[in-house]
Amino acid sequence: MPDENGYLKLFLVESRENHENLVKNLLILERSEDRETIDEIFRSAHTLKGMSASMGFSGLERLCHSMEDVFSSIREGSIRPCGEMVDDLLGCTDYIEEALARIEKDGEEGLEEPVEFIDRLVRWGRNENRRGEGSIGEVSDVPESQAVAGSAIPAAEKKIQLSGDRGEKFRIRIRIDGNGSAKYLRGMIILQNLEILGRIIACSPSREMVEDESFDGELDMVLESDSGAEAIRTAIGSLDISSCHISPFIDPEEPKSEPEMCEGPERKAKATEGRKDGKKREFSHLRVDIKRLDQMMNLIEDLVLKEGRIRQIAGKYQVTELDEAIGMIGRTISDLHELMMRIRMIPLDYIFNRFPRVVRDVAHHEGKDVELIITGGDVELDRSVMDGLNDPLLHLIRNAVNHGIESPDERVSAGKKPRGTVRLSAGRERDNVFIVVEDDGKGIDGERVKQKAIEKGIISEEEASELSREEIVNLLFRPGFSTAEQITDISGRGVGLDVVKKAIEALKGSIRVESQNGKGTKFMLILPPSMAIVEVLLVRINGHRCALPVHSVVEVANMKNCMVRKVGRGEVVMMRDEVIPLFSLNDMFGSDGRDDILFVLQNHDRRFCIRVGEVEGQQQVVVKPLNLIFGRNCGISGVTIPGDGEVVPVLDVNHMIQS
Amino acid sequence: MGKILIVDDTAFMRTLLKNILFSGGHMILGEAENGEDAVSKYRELKPDLVTMDVVMPKVNGIEALKSIKALDPAAKVVMCTAVGQEQMVKLAIKSGARGYIVKPFQAAKVLEEIKAVLAT
Repeated sequence: MPDENGYLKLFLVESRENHENLVKNLLILERSEDRETIDEIFRSAHTLKGMSASMGFSGLERLCHSMEDVFSSIREGSIRPCGEMVDDLLGCTDYIEEALARIEKDGEEGLEEPVEFIDRLVRWGRNENRRGEGSIGEVSDVPESQAVAGSAIPAAEKKIQLSGDRGEKFRIRIRIDGNGSAKYLRGMIILQNLEILGRIIACSPSREMVEDESFDGELDMVLESDSGAEAIRTAIGSLDISSCHISPFIDPEEPKSEPEMCEGPERKAKATEGRKDGKKREFSHLRVDIKRLDQMMNLIEDLVLKEGRIRQIAGKYQVTELDEAIGMIGRTISDLHELMMRIRMIPLDYIFNRFPRVVRDVAHHEGKDVELIITGGDVELDRSVMDGLNDPLLHLIRNAVNHGIESPDERVSAGKKPRGTVRLSAGRERDNVFIVVEDDGKGIDGERVKQKAIEKGIISEEEASELSREEIVNLLFRPGFSTAEQITDISGRGVGLDVVKKAIEALKGSIRVESQNGKGTKFMLILPPSMAIVEVLLVRINGHRCALPVHSVVEVANMKNCMVRKVGRGEVVMMRDEVIPLFSLNDMFGSDGRDDILFVLQNHDRRFCIRVGEVEGQQQVVVKPLNLIFGRNCGISGVTIPGDGEVVPVLDVNHMIQS
Repeated sequence: MGKILIVDDTAFMRTLLKNILFSGGHMILGEAENGEDAVSKYRELKPDLVTMDVVMPKVNGIEALKSIKALDPAAKVVMCTAVGQEQMVKLAIKSGARGYIVKPFQAAKVLEEIKAVLAT
């Protein structure tokens, strides 16, 4: 096949979709065997097989073929799915996944042939003779006696002859070699095509015999047609044909008559009609390389920066018309940006779909019975966030099954139903996306966490006594903390929740945990809107310029009207009976004590204030993350260039609140 | 050469077929992802020929073939099949399919089949 590489990407994308579909439906199949699931699962295996064969990945092709056989037997009702069978089938899907990964990396399957899997599948399928069909790929063995090679038309067949026929008569002798397809199918096609050209007045063997699977490939017939020998030859084609003789058939009993045009003109009219409609062709969906979208996003960000520059220049000259024009450009750019963000969104199902399998495997391994309930998979997130979300979520889900849910016996003795539940849900709240992983297991043992934290030197004993339950539970996120007594095969592996937290923070999100002893644990992830272009307030703190994301500013007040109190080492501001901590940014910007504007900032449900000297204005800016060369920057989420060329830091409100 | 409607539920197979057909000088009038789509596209585009996948979600290739044949008895539909689907193909031919090609596709064979069907 020419140009294989051009298809590879498409092959990978669609194979993965089908692979996912396989896994998803296998899990459903294990619980309930409904017709629709089996049909769908069969279809996925079939499609995968076809694509693999086209790409020449024979291992995959053969594996999928064997899977298809098993599904086909299930569909026919000759075998019934069981846990062990599903295990084997899932093993096959793992092989497929691995093979696809290798294909993506090296361009070839590169694995050992899945002989063992195929063997097992064949054994599953062998419960009964699966299908009554021969294989298209093989030349069927036909007894020699049925061959009619070169024989004259038997008299009996001539009875088909009808009166009133016109046109020239041709004797046609064809030998179908069936190399690559079944002879009887080709025979049926030839008969059908010839019938369009004219009328078959005699045929040996009979039509019924041609349709029989044992048809040997020799056809001898008489066709009456006005199309001429060439047209007949074309209609027969050369596919699967090893020889084709067409000669005029002379029947002394039939006088010649006018040819009849029954098909020709009508078909031509149809062809012209088709041409007219040719303009209407449409493709409603496109597949685009994500890199191109990233490039486009960069260009749009660039546009925003340049718009800022123009705005600044226009500000100097104060021309109303120019300002209006810039305003219009600004709106178009922000529409463009929003559209671009939407294009980059993919539904969470993209990663959620993998989890039922994970839960099943971990639960089996641990001898637990766990149900995973997923909701909100249709919530969309930016692709870049999605990439970073997979591993932390996987970890949380494994944890929930591994450490959260108890064994069926423990559950029963605790008065719960033996089957545990893990809920994975997602939703939107204002601009934020939240994801919750919740189990109904034993919950986190606060005392044990406290003990361990003290043992590991994460907190001192005095500190421990002051902590609330929530704060204790959240110690789990501290680096080096792992409560699991032994590192299990499936979860754990020394990676603690601190890694999860870091991963979520890298996405500018936050994570919290709530847990009730004996009732379960709930992890809440909150992810900010993944806008690279952010609306900010440009302010000066002690003379230094910085930007504050508008969405985190709740209130602006004059310091003179507020009461500042010292509490311990820190300060708080009293506002309408609310006590809000006042953060000093001295270590970042220094202070001369003259900044007198109070900004109340909020992230999720926590608030704090900072002091600001001057507000320059509000603007849409592009936030560029800082390179790692600058080290870990606490309190700054990135920098921006608001238009006048100066580089301005953007404050990371999320991080400030936590520290 | 012919104006062709390609019906297959995977973009992969559609692209593959499209390139083969292009190389044979055919024009791709449109593509459909399932049987339902195929019937409405057939009605709308009136192609010279349809390549029809057999196994598809919603409405499968055989049902789509029947619907298209009911719309236009002269419709030229070539089935795209795989090893092991002989009974389906037989059913398709009886329902009026004019040809069939077997996956994995070989360009020369596909073009030969299409040529033969278009010519009659």
